Amino acid sequence: MTGRFGFLGRRLLQLIPVVIGITILVFFLLHLVPGDPARQILGQHYTPKAAAEIHHKLGLDQPLWTQYKLFMERLVHGNLGDSVYYNQSARSLIAERLPATIFLIAYAGALAALISIPIGIITALRKGGIFDQVTRVGTLITFAMPPFWFGIILILFFALKLQLFPVSGYGQGFTDHLWHLFLPALTIALAFATILTRTLRTSMLSTLRMDFVDTARIKGVSRSTVLMRHVVRNAIVSIVVVFGVNLAFLIGGTVIVENVFSIPGLGQLLVDSVSSRDYPVVQGTTLVLAFLVVFVNLITDVVHVALDPRVTYE
Amino acid sequence: MADLADMPTTSPDRSRRARRGALLAAFVTVALAAGCGSGGGSTGAAGGGAKSDTLVLANAVNVDTLDPAANSVNESIWMTQNIYQRLLQPNANGTDVIPQLAASWDISADGMTYTFHLGDHQFSDGSPVTAEDVRYSIERSIHYDGGWGFLLEAVKSVEAPDPKTVVVTLSRPHAPLLADLAMYAYAVIPEKLVKAQGAKTFFQHPIGSGEWMLTQWNKGSDLTFKVNPHWAGPKPNFTTLKIMIVPNDNSRVLLLKNKNADIIENPPGNLINELSADPDLQTYLFPSTRVDFIQLDQHFAPFKDPKVREALNYAIDRNAIVKLAYSGHATQGSSYMPYKMQYWNSSLKPYPYDPAKAKEILSQSGYPNGFKTYLIEVANDVAGNATAVVIKSDLAKIGIDVDIKTYELLTAYAKEDGGNSQMGQRYWTNDIIDPDEVTTFGVDPNGGANSFSSYWGDPTATKLVHQARGELDPDKRRQMYEQIQQIVYDQTPYLILDYSPYRYAAGNWVHGFHATPLGNYNLSLETLTVDQH
Repeated sequence: MTGRFGFLGRRLLQLIPVVIGITILVFFLLHLVPGDPARQILGQHYTPKAAAEIHHKLGLDQPLWTQYKLFMERLVHGNLGDSVYYNQSARSLIAERLPATIFLIAYAGALAALISIPIGIITALRKGGIFDQVTRVGTLITFAMPPFWFGIILILFFALKLQLFPVSGYGQGFTDHLWHLFLPALTIALAFATILTRTLRTSMLSTLRMDFVDTARIKGVSRSTVLMRHVVRNAIVSIVVVFGVNLAFLIGGTVIVENVFSIPGLGQLLVDSVSSRDYPVVQGTTLVLAFLVVFVNLITDVVHVALDPRVTYE
Repeated sequence: MADLADMPTTSPDRSRRARRGALLAAFVTVALAAGCGSGGGSTGAAGGGAKSDTLVLANAVNVDTLDPAANSVNESIWMTQNIYQRLLQPNANGTDVIPQLAASWDISADGMTYTFHLGDHQFSDGSPVTAEDVRYSIERSIHYDGGWGFLLEAVKSVEAPDPKTVVVTLSRPHAPLLADLAMYAYAVIPEKLVKAQGAKTFFQHPIGSGEWMLTQWNKGSDLTFKVNPHWAGPKPNFTTLKIMIVPNDNSRVLLLKNKNADIIENPPGNLINELSADPDLQTYLFPSTRVDFIQLDQHFAPFKDPKVREALNYAIDRNAIVKLAYSGHATQGSSYMPYKMQYWNSSLKPYPYDPAKAKEILSQSGYPNGFKTYLIEVANDVAGNATAVVIKSDLAKIGIDVDIKTYELLTAYAKEDGGNSQMGQRYWTNDIIDPDEVTTFGVDPNGGANSFSSYWGDPTATKLVHQARGELDPDKRRQMYEQIQQIVYDQTPYLILDYSPYRYAAGNWVHGFHATPLGNYNLSLETLTVDQH
């Protein structure tokens, strides 16, 4: 298969072994961890008899390979099984939580781009200046700060002291989501922006040194046109790949931020379901997150090819 | 090489830069304006204050199910108690039962037949609550796998001879019956609707006859309730109840300080004094049925020795645990039964802290030079972690070397169960006001929980457990339970540490909030008021 459709087709086919590998890894690893979901359901009123009833009801008294086989048979039909904790299908549970995580990631990515692109450009153009120096120190600090601590600091200052944003939650409606998720998205974006800023700065400095930049100026092309159409246009290709790879990491990293800000997303669902040994939900959530990572990588590759004609689909 | 930064700018470049800067500023302004304009469900933030007809309560734990037969998580139980009603309910101080769906009841002379006469109640969709609904709900709960049916093993049949009468017939006298039927698991649901929709669908949008009607449930985020239009009782002083799910302790406290919540559940114990000192806030320490104790698995040989167990009791400084783990906001433990519950033996006093006496008793045991053991604790349980440190330090003084092992919650439970453990941190809370439940779990080795996983048993105590369950004379029951408590106190199969309260914090604009010792607060919502703030 050749061309973009061939490329897409190959990448989608690659998903199959990835999915199978993830399901095996997650399923068996989770069952190796001590802890009984019946314990979570029964709490302190756990008795072996009640636990046995629950195990039988949930099929947990079957051999592991049988349970895995049943899970894969259901998966082929799009059925992720039922949550042992919430008494509803894992698929509907994940569908309820997915929008919040996607919104958060997209918002964080947009904020990170908005912060990093102008700063990356300016620090490259004003290399060695005060702004550049301050930015380099600032990005080190934001990168080193743990998200759970930084998130609390943002809440203390912007939510509690200045009363500009809510302390937690997701809100209802698009603008309400924008308002509620600004601080959590900023928490993620600032660490993310550090990587993008420094990558763009380096890439800009490298591009500025190229001969075609001098040639363009000598030929009378305006400064701004040279900057935006030639320098930035070339430099930005490098951060597209960095953006895509780190965005994929962010998908897994929403766990902490969702917990601090009480956002009902996939990250929080994953933590809750691992804690309660809600096997179907853990498996389903991990699969969906894996799909998201693969999807983001795929989009990154497509955008990369679109921006850089030297890169092909082969 | 010319540096682009050094090259002269032209007028078109400057104006383009100005436009770009304005666009960026505009975006930020729009984002902030959107926030200021949309108050959403939040209160007290920029642009709006709390409405007096809304109460916002932040829970620490997610709501897992609204199926009363499947309930076991406290935060879910408190939700179902807002939505549904039972035949009876515990009173405000958890010492007796009062009518709910049943306006009155008769008990036959032999105590084997209970006849309940229903009042006029409707579900929130306007349909009447009938005796058939009651019969269906109780039987469904009894037969629910892994549910609470074990409490009603003495029930032979539940019948509905007419729409207003429910008759419960027993196979043997069962003194806790009324307390059992007042339990959340026996909440009444509309039979026809549940069967028509299927339980899975019904419990996503349940209907009950309780004061509150669920109108929205954003899983993992919040639940919104409105007053049930067909509620038979007095109308509450506010119309909307919003429950937010905020697992992070710091976030919950900040929510309250920011006036985005009116009441928060379980603020950290070490912040109670700080919150109490805040002029805008108030804290509550409601008496609870929580008993914190240390499990001693008697499969570990030293703990089979009664002298060792007695020595442990004198060696532990319970006062230090109360101070360190709860900032002084707890009571030292004595009986295995929750503090001041029905038939609680007030003559039992906490073991005094006396390391010299502990050492002397240990010298008379089979382990005069001490031994090595471990104590399982749960990670991120601040009070539990502090307690473990005190125990380790205290027992070291009498020659017992305790290794603290920290595990995540379910792993800790897995390590504590199964008869392969040593010491483990545990706790108990009542689901009913009657002592039968806690006594069955804690004293009867065949009661299902192996005497709180100690695998201890005393023939006299076990016999009394069964006798007390069937004894209908309250005075005789009291004597039996006092005797059981004395036996447990003397033989100390586990170490009772303290009774800790339910902690809540609220704005001082909230009046009349109260949680019963069983933890539910639905009764107080009938009269609670929320000032504008």
